[in-house]
Amino acid sequence: MSSSQLKALIAEITHRCPLHCVYCSNPLEMQRVETELSTAQWTRIIQEAAALGCWHLHLTGGEPLARQDTEQLVRAGRDAGLYVNLITSGLGLTRERLQNLVAAGLDHLQLSFQDSEEAEANVFAGAKSHNYKLRVAEWIREHRLAFTVNLVIHRENVDRLEQLIVFAERLRADKLEIANVQYYGWAFQNRARLLPTLEQVRASLTVIEDARKRLAGKMRIEHVLPDYYAKYPKPCMGGWGRGLMLIDPAGRAMPCHAAAVIPGLVFPNASDLSLRSIWEDSDAFQRFRGEAWMQEPCRSCERREIDFGGCRCQALMIAGDAAATDPVCSLSPARKLVEEAIEMAVATGKSNNWVYRIGPLGLY
Amino acid sequence: MKAGCRLSVAEDVLLIPESVLRLQGPARSIVKACDGTRTMSQIVAVLLEAFPNADAAKVSAETAAFLGSLAERGVIEFV
Repeated sequence: MSSSQLKALIAEITHRCPLHCVYCSNPLEMQRVETELSTAQWTRIIQEAAALGCWHLHLTGGEPLARQDTEQLVRAGRDAGLYVNLITSGLGLTRERLQNLVAAGLDHLQLSFQDSEEAEANVFAGAKSHNYKLRVAEWIREHRLAFTVNLVIHRENVDRLEQLIVFAERLRADKLEIANVQYYGWAFQNRARLLPTLEQVRASLTVIEDARKRLAGKMRIEHVLPDYYAKYPKPCMGGWGRGLMLIDPAGRAMPCHAAAVIPGLVFPNASDLSLRSIWEDSDAFQRFRGEAWMQEPCRSCERREIDFGGCRCQALMIAGDAAATDPVCSLSPARKLVEEAIEMAVATGKSNNWVYRIGPLGLY
Repeated sequence: MKAGCRLSVAEDVLLIPESVLRLQGPARSIVKACDGTRTMSQIVAVLLEAFPNADAAKVSAETAAFLGSLAERGVIEFV
């Protein structure tokens, strides 16, 4: 299919992570360490991606630094001609290890923060991690390395957005990614406590607009409207199988992070099959590619090539049908289910306890 | 060129954090001329050498506009 060209490989190299974020995007069922691919297997996958014309390699997890061979995989990416991005919590990084990663050819590092305040950050992360991250940010600025700070926002911190932006500025980030929680994986478990109110979302837009003006030329700010409050859905992954491939720690190739929730999809394994055959021929990548699978109102919608019907996983999780229009869409017959989720969250909010993947030891 | 921004091996796109900018026509020559030492007028001179039939005033204006947009996008900085 001519409109699909692999642009970025998201290599979820491990699901191990020292954090237990309340909005973790990893699937409910995680891959165990014994199933993880070897360095040689990842290297071959990276080379095959480059041969398909791929540009970016995103090393992520879990915490990608939980593996000992992260430097080797960075090197493999650079040797194959890819642009290498490391998406990390910073835990597992030392000053020396960072030097080795940079020497291996790392192009860009994205460091996550859960808040600007230590106590809050540690609650959202389910681990004492904030102060260590502050040290990591200092080390990063010792290198000529593109540096993005990722801050996840939600009901309990969005009111302090101005403060969060100033925090990222002090860390001397080149770019700040303000990420509204997306309700997949573990985040769906905490949706009723995480979902912001409409008033909060509106106020956040003004704060972001002002900050962009103030910081123009200094720090870029990326932000996407939280889709539960959007009129139209997001073009999830830029369209199913159009440009992105995710490979999980065990080698399962998927069109997106959450696709494992869709029943009946069989994910080809990149340790048995070539990336080319997976990308071009597998049922998993063909299933929602293009428009043939669409139902109404997507099928005849003039926006079908803009948002590609939105997110298949969200359609499954909320409307119960992966081929339905993304229920966040104002044109979706299931939109009322999103409204109900918002109403419930607004009404109950803090009365919902955080659900952690693992007990937050030492926090309470 | 700022950290985290570089030409692809095939020199057809500028690789930038989480995105790419596709280079068309003389854009590639302009980007290649940005070596951290050349001034704007030196970059224009490089281009005029590569495209001897081009109108100098037009090349100069378009190069400045193109580099301005790259600076705004955070891809290059003037040192």
